[in-house]
Amino acid sequence: MGGCFSDVRGGKEAVGGDLPRPTEPNANNDGAHNDAIEFFYRAHGAYPLFTQLELSFSASKLLDLDVTSKSDPMVVVYLKKNDGKLEELGRTEVILNNLNPVWIQKVSAAYQFETVQNLIFRVYDVDTQYHNVPVKTLNLRDQEFLGEGSCVLSEIVTKQNRSLTLTLKGKNGHGGLRNFGTLTVHAEETIASRSAVEIKFRCAHLDNKDLFSKSDPFLRISRTVETGGSIPICKTEVVDNNLNPTWKPLCLNMQQFGSKDNPLVIECFDFNSDGNHILIGKLQKSIADLEKLFKEKSGVNFFIPSSRAGHEKVLKGQLFVDQFCEKEQFSFVDYISSGFELNFMVAVDFTGSNGDPRKPESLHYIDPYGRLNSYQQAITEVGQVIQFYDADKSFPAWGFGGRTANGTVSHCFNLNGNASESEVVGVEGIMAAYANALRNVALSGPTLFGQVVNRAAEIAARSLSSNNNKYYVLLIITDGILTDLQETKDALVRASNLPLSILIVGVGNADFKQMEILDADNGQRLESSTGRIATRDIVQFVPMRDVQSGQISVVQGLLEELPGQFLSYMRSMDIKPLTFNAAAQASPALEIL
Amino acid sequence: MAANSRTLEIKVISAENLKLDRKSVKKNASVTVRTDTNSQFCTTDIDTEGGAYPRWNEKLVLDLPTHSKSIIVEVHCKTSSGVRTIGTATVPASDFVGEYVPEGYLHFLSYRLRNHKGERNGIINISVRMKVPEMYACASSTTWSHSTMGFPAAGNKSFGGGVVTGVPVWYGAYQKNY
Repeated sequence: MGGCFSDVRGGKEAVGGDLPRPTEPNANNDGAHNDAIEFFYRAHGAYPLFTQLELSFSASKLLDLDVTSKSDPMVVVYLKKNDGKLEELGRTEVILNNLNPVWIQKVSAAYQFETVQNLIFRVYDVDTQYHNVPVKTLNLRDQEFLGEGSCVLSEIVTKQNRSLTLTLKGKNGHGGLRNFGTLTVHAEETIASRSAVEIKFRCAHLDNKDLFSKSDPFLRISRTVETGGSIPICKTEVVDNNLNPTWKPLCLNMQQFGSKDNPLVIECFDFNSDGNHILIGKLQKSIADLEKLFKEKSGVNFFIPSSRAGHEKVLKGQLFVDQFCEKEQFSFVDYISSGFELNFMVAVDFTGSNGDPRKPESLHYIDPYGRLNSYQQAITEVGQVIQFYDADKSFPAWGFGGRTANGTVSHCFNLNGNASESEVVGVEGIMAAYANALRNVALSGPTLFGQVVNRAAEIAARSLSSNNNKYYVLLIITDGILTDLQETKDALVRASNLPLSILIVGVGNADFKQMEILDADNGQRLESSTGRIATRDIVQFVPMRDVQSGQISVVQGLLEELPGQFLSYMRSMDIKPLTFNAAAQASPALEIL
Repeated sequence: MAANSRTLEIKVISAENLKLDRKSVKKNASVTVRTDTNSQFCTTDIDTEGGAYPRWNEKLVLDLPTHSKSIIVEVHCKTSSGVRTIGTATVPASDFVGEYVPEGYLHFLSYRLRNHKGERNGIINISVRMKVPEMYACASSTTWSHSTMGFPAAGNKSFGGGVVTGVPVWYGAYQKNY
């Protein structure tokens, strides 16, 4: 809604000090990304959207291609892009004379939840001299190919010990009669630590910088860097008109502050809507110092820096730490690899506004040449990513707004045509049931989500009786405007404290502004007709537009938020990753084609 | 055999955007929670710092009679002229006694507060958990400690696909009379 006025309310919000996004990049800067750019984004509150993983490798029973000794193997890791091209991610070192090598050199891979990351691993026998030669410069054409394996990165991450064993095949997948051996890939997150601290700050006797009222203070916390400067890591919200403010607790992850002894610069500013915030005072303390302040219940004075060293002006204003608590923060990968699942559910709009499915203009038209319609695209894009996180790949699939065989309009019918069981197997199963339903169900109306949301909420609630390691994701694909917004809001509010996220994709050209209300991104929590308010924002809405090749799909934007929603639920319910008895389990060898 | 009351653990977490006479509340907000039968009530401490966005994080315990249909949450403010009610919300029992959600589930709930004129006046955030009745004492120690409850004792290759052992006896066994 571009206007002449800045979003002052937005400007007053806290940044960076809440539960960090689950996908925190590696602070150790392995060179995979630029430190400066990362800090730039973080200072503006935007987090790069991936988790850095380190892949380590071992193999067994490799082919022996050397005459007088054994093979000298090395692994090269590729990412297969959408256009089929291979991008090299890295290589291990060369190990001398070994058919069962365990490599030391790890390869970094950025784990992005929202995409399907196809990895290819090629093992080579290095024949040329590699002594004192950087592995990167070895020309693979000069080496002997020992075998190839492939998998999707999320397959590794969902494994209990984050290890996947692949059977190696010849080039182009031809196995033939040869036994190429196996390759085991293991993934580790490279986050420094899982510790975080939650701190509640308070100030007293701050100077008044406003003319007709009192200061509107907020704190900005920065981390000092080696070059002597400082990079902001978070800021509190603004408290209006108060010289003795208390702010909401900040949660800082160890990645943000480095170590407990790392000096942090804490500045207190007076907020001005024109952007020129006036410095009230600053001070320098480490996390360990802040812990001491909390224990001793003492305050520390701010000062105003001066150009003359040693002549800083000490102020009356003081900083106190009212709460200090250390927490353990598990990452998304911690949960997933310990056995947590994302269960996928789909609901498809069967209202008449989509158009007669037999006509090519219809949003439900199934193209005989295979081009996917918007519904199929959305199902495929979301399903292909989430299926790896769903153990049994058994997905409930419903339609709404259609007239079924018995003549009545149903707002929650099973897509597979079965009266009692709503589940289908795999993304292919959803596509088949969808095509089948188009032949057997007449499009009707009106557009109502309430029943589908209630069904999904019921499934999520029922699962809590037996375990709490399942999180549900409902994808609703619709072409139109909701007929009963309030009923939908009621259903969403009732579902808002359950382990459920709802993704709504709008297809076609309707004006979806009403749907954005459901998304609640503007801060307005949904309110039901009974006065209950949504516990959390479980809905995300995005209109699907035609995507030019090469661009990132909007559906991916939806998926990016999922790990965060999953983590915020688990953390607020104080649910920790499962601890399996790993010794009793063997990682099953997986045959990958 | 049903008990004639259930114990509710209510954590009064925070409130948002409280106003008194159209002006934001400055301080001294507190919350009273009581049953709709008025058989019992509990009050939090006063929050002196949060102003219109107070935080209490205080746990209150109420015995809810079986025939009770809701609990009432009232937010008060201690002013120089006495204690005034800022707003009230009614929490129906059906919101924390779900048909499908197991007992003992920690429900995070939020409600719209309305003042005596019926106008909207802020939001109250609470969490409610029903405590397991005494007669099932063997399971009463397991108040939803998530990391170890109800998971297969022996290793399962598939995550959550099989039958789970160790489900506490009282799940679903208690007849709800609401």
